[in-house]
Amino acid sequence: MSDQTHMHVEHDIAPGDEEQHSVRERILGYVVGLGLALLLTATSFFIAGTNLVWQPSIPVALIVLAIAQMGVHLVFFLHITTGPDNTNNVLALAFGLLVVFLVVGGTVWIMAHLNQNMPPMDQIMQMPR
Amino acid sequence: MPAVPTVEATMLGKLDWSAIPLDQPIPLAAGGVVLLVILGVLAWVVVKGHLPYLWHEWITSVDHKRIGVMYILLASVMLLRGGSDAIMMRIQQAIAYQSQGYLPPEHYNQIFSAHGTIMIFFVAMPFVIGLMNLVVPLQLGVRDVAFPTLNSVGFWLTATGALLVNLSLVIGEFARTGWLAFPPLSELSYSPGVGVDYYAWSLQISGVGTLVAGINLVTTVLKLRTKGMNYLRMPMFCWTTLASNLLIVAAFPILTATLAMLLLDRYLGFHFFTNEAGGNVMMFMNLIWAWGHPEVYILVLPAFGVYSEVVSTFSSKPLFGYRSMVLATMAICIISFMVWLHHFFTMGAGPDVNAIFGIASMIIAVPTGVKIYNWLFTMYGGRIRFATPMLWSVGFMVTFIIGGLTGVLVAVPPADFMLHNSMFLVAHFHNVIIGGVLFAAFAGFEYWFPKAFGFRLDERWGKVGFWFTFVGFWVTFMPLYIAGMLGMTRRMQHYDVAEWRPWMLVAAFGMLLLTIGVLAQVTQIVVSIRNREALRDRTGDPWDGRSLEWATSSPPPVFNFAFDPDVRGEDAYWALKHHAKQQQLEDHSGPEYQDIEMPKNSPTGFVCAFFATVMGFALIWHIWWMVILGGVGAFATFVVFAWRDHDEYVIPAAEVERIDRINIEERRNLVSLAGTL
Repeated sequence: MSDQTHMHVEHDIAPGDEEQHSVRERILGYVVGLGLALLLTATSFFIAGTNLVWQPSIPVALIVLAIAQMGVHLVFFLHITTGPDNTNNVLALAFGLLVVFLVVGGTVWIMAHLNQNMPPMDQIMQMPR
Repeated sequence: MPAVPTVEATMLGKLDWSAIPLDQPIPLAAGGVVLLVILGVLAWVVVKGHLPYLWHEWITSVDHKRIGVMYILLASVMLLRGGSDAIMMRIQQAIAYQSQGYLPPEHYNQIFSAHGTIMIFFVAMPFVIGLMNLVVPLQLGVRDVAFPTLNSVGFWLTATGALLVNLSLVIGEFARTGWLAFPPLSELSYSPGVGVDYYAWSLQISGVGTLVAGINLVTTVLKLRTKGMNYLRMPMFCWTTLASNLLIVAAFPILTATLAMLLLDRYLGFHFFTNEAGGNVMMFMNLIWAWGHPEVYILVLPAFGVYSEVVSTFSSKPLFGYRSMVLATMAICIISFMVWLHHFFTMGAGPDVNAIFGIASMIIAVPTGVKIYNWLFTMYGGRIRFATPMLWSVGFMVTFIIGGLTGVLVAVPPADFMLHNSMFLVAHFHNVIIGGVLFAAFAGFEYWFPKAFGFRLDERWGKVGFWFTFVGFWVTFMPLYIAGMLGMTRRMQHYDVAEWRPWMLVAAFGMLLLTIGVLAQVTQIVVSIRNREALRDRTGDPWDGRSLEWATSSPPPVFNFAFDPDVRGEDAYWALKHHAKQQQLEDHSGPEYQDIEMPKNSPTGFVCAFFATVMGFALIWHIWWMVILGGVGAFATFVVFAWRDHDEYVIPAAEVERIDRINIEERRNLVSLAGTL
């Protein structure tokens, strides 16, 4: 917006700001990212339908692949790095993850508990006293 | 439902003449008066020829200071509306002993629902967001917020929500479900009217506005700071703004998603929260409070920031324990996401869940306690001036400690089982919200009013307002604690228990004092506007302030600062001032004045909100063609905005210099005047 309010851009880059990379480097980054994303997607579909591996491990494998997929997106498409120019983005991501973990984890825990203590009437009647 | 809708049903949806409550004199009269006032003001504006001024200088303004002022104006008007609801409820409970009182149940239920909704979403939220908008860019030493036009959109969407809530007074009805619209009561089978739809759509629309404001302010604090303003030199209010807006960004999507699910239940026959078909009512409680508890801190953190500024300024001392204050703020920011279950301890969770959340709720009182001690130590040994903002701050400390302690009390699950949904709870949250947020709003209003308008508020009327509000608060809400202990539950339209009656009468008397307090503050504004020449603040620093907003003139020029301030430590302006006193006032002979680019005004926000209002109203009344019209209109506005070529204009260096010289001259006069005395 305003170039007169010059800040410390040298330490941090907002999403959307241009980094100092050549076009070739940037295209290469996107291509690698796309390749990895496609690979992970293909593997997921393959694993879901295969019977080459121990069956109960499939959901776990899918979860691992999904997390890897998120990582690929973050690194190659959203340009989250560990560099000093990226502190804000990393912190924002960490805060977001923490909140999601607290809310989703808390919800699962609470709701399971509520169901435990408020079963349907016929189950209450059968409870040992 | 007929298979083929009639022409009327297609054109008007559920809307017909029965929507106007002709049989209920109270809302109709109230609506009529409001309508007359609005029409009167509009007529005055048009006749006097102020319309172009309003349009160009305010309605389309993207200046953060103007938007801040408009937020606060909206909040003040809605405070009067929400306050009227409160007066009606107190009178009802004072006279409804062994009788029906004067408010029929369905009307009384709408009033307490509207009171809560309005006070949280359309008074407290816009008030704190308004203060943040007005002050934070000035404190950071920058010329604007990160996204000026988005800021305007956010404000006007909030105004849309407020408009829809008030529209429900005369067209249709408001929710009768309480301010959080718990299902299954808020589901279609128990609330078939449009009340819950009014509630949900106005919150959805204003929620978008709040989210936008949150994103804007987070970005502003993180990315726009002047030279040398690193994080640990920011004024406390900027820190609390950051924490509060991080919470907005994290929590408001939960509210939006929850209300969206409720609306899917109501409009499309989904079963998220219904009693039948696998719906789970408790999921609504869980989700709404996962937003609702952070919301409490979204409101009170900026309030803490205001007190930090005020206490430090009026004690003429730097804030005690600045770093511990920062740490406490950020700790609250995180822990506020770990306590939400304490709002439904009694609803079926087992002892280990309740214990964990109970302990977390007690832990969150610790950083709050740290803050209280820091303010006390800031005052200790200081040269305290008891101006009105300081009175509000000291009043806050006394009041808020009681509210906080009763909060820790209800954080103990066994105690909560006794007090849940009782008047004790009502007294507790009013104790923290009025004593915490509203007092801060008033303190901030008095404190920054000279900055926004260039003249101070009348101290005498301000103090009258403070004392009536302060005493009125105690007289109103302490009896409610006792009534709660005596077993009175909240939201009672009438009751038959003799022991409660005297306390309700005392509370009604307290309400009278509160009303006088509000009237005194209105008088204060009128008197101050009349005496504005005598109260004029020429230097831009009426309170001997410490942070950068006082380094510019009052009201600040549109570009805030002619030069980017150079910050070398905490209390940036205080340091500058003392530096200047030693070397006389510095002449800006060094750097040359330069052209300044500022964002152009834009009607995007207003037009967007107009279409959002149309769409919201149409959704409430099931007028589908109008929904499409509103949606397309709002989207088209966005497209037109996105495609514009010129979004900035230039203020020439000569003009910047002329404006800046006036302020420097005024300040120098003051210094030399002080020298001769």
